[in-house]
Amino acid sequence: MYNVDFSILYKSLPQIIEGLTTTIYVCLISFIFAFILSSFITYFRVLKGIKFIENALACLVEFIRNTPLLLQIYVVFKLLPQVGLTFSPVLSGILALSLYQGVYFSEVMRSGIAQIKGEQKNAAYSLGFSSFETFIFIIFPQGLKNVISPLGSQIINLIKNSSLLSFIAVSDIFYISYQKIADDFRIIEYFTLCLILYTSLTGIVLIFTHILNFCLKVKFKEVSFA
Amino acid sequence: MNDLITNMPYLLNGFKVTIILSFYSIIFSLFLGVTFGVLRYFKIPFVSFFCACFIELTRSIPLILYIVFIHYTISPYLFNTYNFTSYLGIDSVEMQTALISLTLFTSAYIAEIVRSGMENIDRQQIWDAKSLGFSTFQTVRYIILPVVLAKSLPSWIAQFASLIKDTSLVSVIGLVELTRASEIISEITGKDFIIMFFTLFTYFIICFLLSNLAKYLNKKYNYMNI
Repeated sequence: MYNVDFSILYKSLPQIIEGLTTTIYVCLISFIFAFILSSFITYFRVLKGIKFIENALACLVEFIRNTPLLLQIYVVFKLLPQVGLTFSPVLSGILALSLYQGVYFSEVMRSGIAQIKGEQKNAAYSLGFSSFETFIFIIFPQGLKNVISPLGSQIINLIKNSSLLSFIAVSDIFYISYQKIADDFRIIEYFTLCLILYTSLTGIVLIFTHILNFCLKVKFKEVSFA
Repeated sequence: MNDLITNMPYLLNGFKVTIILSFYSIIFSLFLGVTFGVLRYFKIPFVSFFCACFIELTRSIPLILYIVFIHYTISPYLFNTYNFTSYLGIDSVEMQTALISLTLFTSAYIAEIVRSGMENIDRQQIWDAKSLGFSTFQTVRYIILPVVLAKSLPSWIAQFASLIKDTSLVSVIGLVELTRASEIISEITGKDFIIMFFTLFTYFIICFLLSNLAKYLNKKYNYMNI
């Protein structure tokens, strides 16, 4: 008979906290990398207008979107060392994750920027902004405001996908619980722990997107009345 | 190249597992997801609440956690004694576990797609059907679902493409599918590059075709304006 006993979690509290820290750390760093990468991809695909770079980036985006993340993690972790680029498991995981999610972010941002009308761009050009300045100051903030909810759901995907790093022995929360499950078969307890932690992490992101959406809407209304 | 050709049977075996898993999961999750989505849309007491709980919980945790949970909790008690899927040609416990977890996981996403598609339909149509003497089941079967199916077909296909990518995660319970097979082969032969890229391109071709089909259908149905 299986006795559910949550006090077992107390004994492994230090490892759990370590795992949770790793997950949060990986997610934060990959989010920053992915955001920067996706803004560059969006800039070159939407505004710059160099045909060659545009096509190359489109190929990259399609390629990364249509292959499994697990395989990409393996490629970064196992193939790059043969070329001479050796990373630690955490770093290669972060690289693969931010590349994968950056591509998804860029698709979301591109759809948001498509809603911004071309007159804005022309007006900025006529006022003497360079194309980079137009992107940073005019187009990007407005486009970003349109896609806060889809971007939030992509960040939730990032948090969920970060559990795949356990395949290359990054000791995140899933890896720690999986090892503990293998040790003492406390599946219900550790599964509940994982469930609560992942749900609360994604819930925090969800609440943030709602707050951000609400604030921006209020601000937008004020501007339109003035 | 020689290593790739000599180990091709093993890779193809893995590919077969991937295809079988994704094919059956697509079919089952289609029915299950439509059921969940419809039940959640009609606000039936308890049933809708249960469906909403299931959908939201499933959507907020990573797939890998789901597979591990079902592998440890349900399959030792259920699949070891009963073989539900022998008539499909699936007889190992791991295959059943993977099939069940992929099906449940994808059906939650399908249910959301169906529900959002149904919410876009005018409630007037349901009342019209009711006044013409259709029962609720007939209304759903003959009035609502055909439109929802046609309208949200692109997002279903995108979901199935991501299901095919997600099958790479079932290696966590020891199933050798395409990703795992290519990893094993590349570790045996040491020829990582060619085998990994073969696998990447296999996934790429399948998912790229599917996502282009989704784009094509999107254009077609937008044009038809259903």
